[in-house]
Amino acid sequence: MAESLLSECTPLKKEYDSCFNAWFEGYLEPAVSASSSPQKYSEYSQRKAEEFQQKCGKIWEGYRACVQKALKEKGLDTMLQQSREENPLSRPPPLPPSGSSSS
Amino acid sequence: MHFVNQSHNYDHPWSHVVIGMWHKYPNPKCTHVVSIDVLDRSVDPKTGIIRTERVLGCKQKAPKWIVKLFGSSEDAYVREISFIDPRTQNATITSENLSLSQFATCLEQIRYSPSSTPGRTIFSQTAEIQARMALWRSAADGLEKWMAQRFEQNAQLGKMAFTDVLRRLWEERERVQAVVA
Repeated sequence: MAESLLSECTPLKKEYDSCFNAWFEGYLEPAVSASSSPQKYSEYSQRKAEEFQQKCGKIWEGYRACVQKALKEKGLDTMLQQSREENPLSRPPPLPPSGSSSS
Repeated sequence: MHFVNQSHNYDHPWSHVVIGMWHKYPNPKCTHVVSIDVLDRSVDPKTGIIRTERVLGCKQKAPKWIVKLFGSSEDAYVREISFIDPRTQNATITSENLSLSQFATCLEQIRYSPSSTPGRTIFSQTAEIQARMALWRSAADGLEKWMAQRFEQNAQLGKMAFTDVLRRLWEERERVQAVVA
């Protein structure tokens, strides 16, 4: 894994990344399989979202606090705020028209 | 305005590529990426879509005239937002420079989706590089050109690097599975 912005945050980053990766690898393929049934998918998403919070929520709090501090120290918080205001990207970008997925 | 557009395939299924996304750095080909941090992450309980916002710290040497004119340093930061949608099997990654953003923007969009050939994933990438203000025209053009060159160089390195990362990650796991089986 790469380092964090501030070296003191790196151990927290590594712990958080490991937690997320472990959860994500268990999440993805069953999610794809469950997607054929809307009901099943909905139940699965809900359950897994809660599970992620339970497993990684605490580690995330510590890591996130460290990153916030790092952003201030590096003078990135203003630039980041501007970028977020210009391009919030709170939703996925629109997909190109279908028919372009074959190669 | 400079516009870059390319696409190619990875010989791995979509889920392997998307899992591999988080293992891309560090890698020996992309030593310019020195830090990555997650700023925000959410799992939508209704749609199952995972949104992640990250900041990447890079070290890039800019030509002297750019450093002089725009006061840039060796440290360049990028904001990256990704969406992973298991329902549609689409992963999109949008990145924008934070550094030098008051002068020019390089907005990159990547998409991973399953190919019609099983076990293969399509990678498509576009980048729009544009000087922001009404700069002295040759400076604007020069800055855009340099950003476009860096972008293409890094895109090439990234492609080679990620191919290696995926191969190592999944071959190792197959080996372990073969031993266990």
